[in-house]
Amino acid sequence: MINLFCALYCEAEPLINQYQLSELRQFDLFRIFQSEDKQVTLTITGIGKLNAASAVTYHHANLETSASDVWLNVGVAGHKSMAIGEVCLVNKITDNKDLSCWYPQILFQPSCKTEALITVSEPSTDYEQALYDMEAAGFYSIATRLGTSELIHCLKIVSDNDQQPTEYINKTMVKDLLIKNLDVITGIIDKLKVLSNELYSISRAPSCYQAFIDKWHFTATERIQLERLLRQWSKRLPDKDVIKSANKLTSGKSVLRHLQTTINETGFVIYD
Amino acid sequence: MISTIYIEEEVATHPRTFKILERFPDADKITCKRYGEIFNRKSQNFRLQKKQPALILARKHKGFILPTPKQYGIGAEHNYYFSHMLNCLYDCRYCFLQGMFQSAHYVLFVNYEDFLEELQSVTNQHKGQAVHIFSGYDCDSLALDPVTDFTSEFLPFFEKNKHALLELRTKSTQIRSLLKRKPIQNCIIAFSFTPDRIASALEHKTPSVEKRIQAILDLQQAGWQIGLRFDPLIYTKDYDVEYEALFKTVFTNLDPESTHSVSLGSFRLPKDYFRKLEKLYPDEKLLSSPLSEQENMISYPAELRNDMLDYCKKIITQYIPIEKFFPCHDSI
Repeated sequence: MINLFCALYCEAEPLINQYQLSELRQFDLFRIFQSEDKQVTLTITGIGKLNAASAVTYHHANLETSASDVWLNVGVAGHKSMAIGEVCLVNKITDNKDLSCWYPQILFQPSCKTEALITVSEPSTDYEQALYDMEAAGFYSIATRLGTSELIHCLKIVSDNDQQPTEYINKTMVKDLLIKNLDVITGIIDKLKVLSNELYSISRAPSCYQAFIDKWHFTATERIQLERLLRQWSKRLPDKDVIKSANKLTSGKSVLRHLQTTINETGFVIYD
Repeated sequence: MISTIYIEEEVATHPRTFKILERFPDADKITCKRYGEIFNRKSQNFRLQKKQPALILARKHKGFILPTPKQYGIGAEHNYYFSHMLNCLYDCRYCFLQGMFQSAHYVLFVNYEDFLEELQSVTNQHKGQAVHIFSGYDCDSLALDPVTDFTSEFLPFFEKNKHALLELRTKSTQIRSLLKRKPIQNCIIAFSFTPDRIASALEHKTPSVEKRIQAILDLQQAGWQIGLRFDPLIYTKDYDVEYEALFKTVFTNLDPESTHSVSLGSFRLPKDYFRKLEKLYPDEKLLSSPLSEQENMISYPAELRNDMLDYCKKIITQYIPIEKFFPCHDSI
């Protein structure tokens, strides 16, 4: 699943349109939008670090997120010298208040620049050679407790700089900046999806696991053993139907014994 | 190859940092306070990071040279190891580093001078006695040598301290810097091997067995002492055929005179590391090998392990004298 977070509706609107998201009206603390297939969800966090952190927590608490999900904070940011409209994937986040740092792990070649970012508590025009925003530290610090760090990122579009400070920003301009850069944003989401799919494929239980759980009783420890044995079976006896093989057994314990014995009796070749 | 380099503030002005950064002009350079901020963070995924590991340049503060576990050694009473790097360029599925570290990034401790100072102090403690120093447990000793200058910085110490013997454990064919210099008799270049078909299945991104043998031949011809490390031994149905062929290939090619030592150990991993590997690589065949758990270690059942080790020992000692053979005791 792709979890998107924007501070403002004008930042979110192009993404809502792009992914055809509809608002989930049952959530009233933060506005949440979701695609029909539930694969893309967007939460509007409001401005500031605390709001961002709260929104991520709320999003996680109310939707079924997993370790293989993508988490992306998309929004505008200031920079001393970068041109308005420049897109950057953030490679370091510093919380200006307590100087805590986080380092998003970029495992692909992004189609935009990468840059460090400083999260400030109040809007600032004291620009340095870094991006400035008000949410990333709050978003990232919580998201890394819920997800996998390689899949958690912040993507910022420069909306103000030394030459064109914050007073020139308005909703229409922000929305236009997002629209102009939708290709970059969706490109990065696609690259993250590839990593996410790999993680999903290794984290799910073997396909026949649920059939065993439905048919026999296994304790919590036995379920772990079952999952391990089913994985071993698929590698050691790929052509033998495991459900058929265990079908006549009457208890979970006897199933585990049968799986282990059959695996042990099978020759093991490490190469294909 | 390396597209991101993290630099600890403390080593930002270290000459070795400058030299390394020069080699990667296009890499993203990001400063950090301590490498642990990146390397030790939870919620990282080793498997995903292995696709594009970053380089972290850091300072090591303590524990430069450490005693080895008692069962490891190639004949000396005093054995130590050190790691100028954490993590490896290669991706061997049996490697314990995948279970030990949160991150797959390469950490390079650039303060070699502190390692060398402690090396001096450790070797001074054992004057007149043989001291063996091992490199290549938490990394491959040679794989990143062109970047790290590891051999050219550390070998002069062993040239001066003849009673200390250095083992450089590797699978790499990065031997240019060794071939450029006069060989040092108290330095062993120890190559690890598994049979070709097993290596193809498990040792990803490594030079082939054939290329490793060629590197050994080049080193032997230049006068370097060689070590052979058949560790870990990996079980497969016809392991005897596979290993016999490997031993034949290796020993008939190499000069037995300049083969310093041969060691042998079977596949084993601490239970926690093994369980982590199962999560990272659930489809990996190695992890469905016939294995058993004993004292928090996962290894082959004793009978199978002993059969494999006895068989391999028997063949190996047909090629080399028993004095050069060193089994790894925890697996025998």
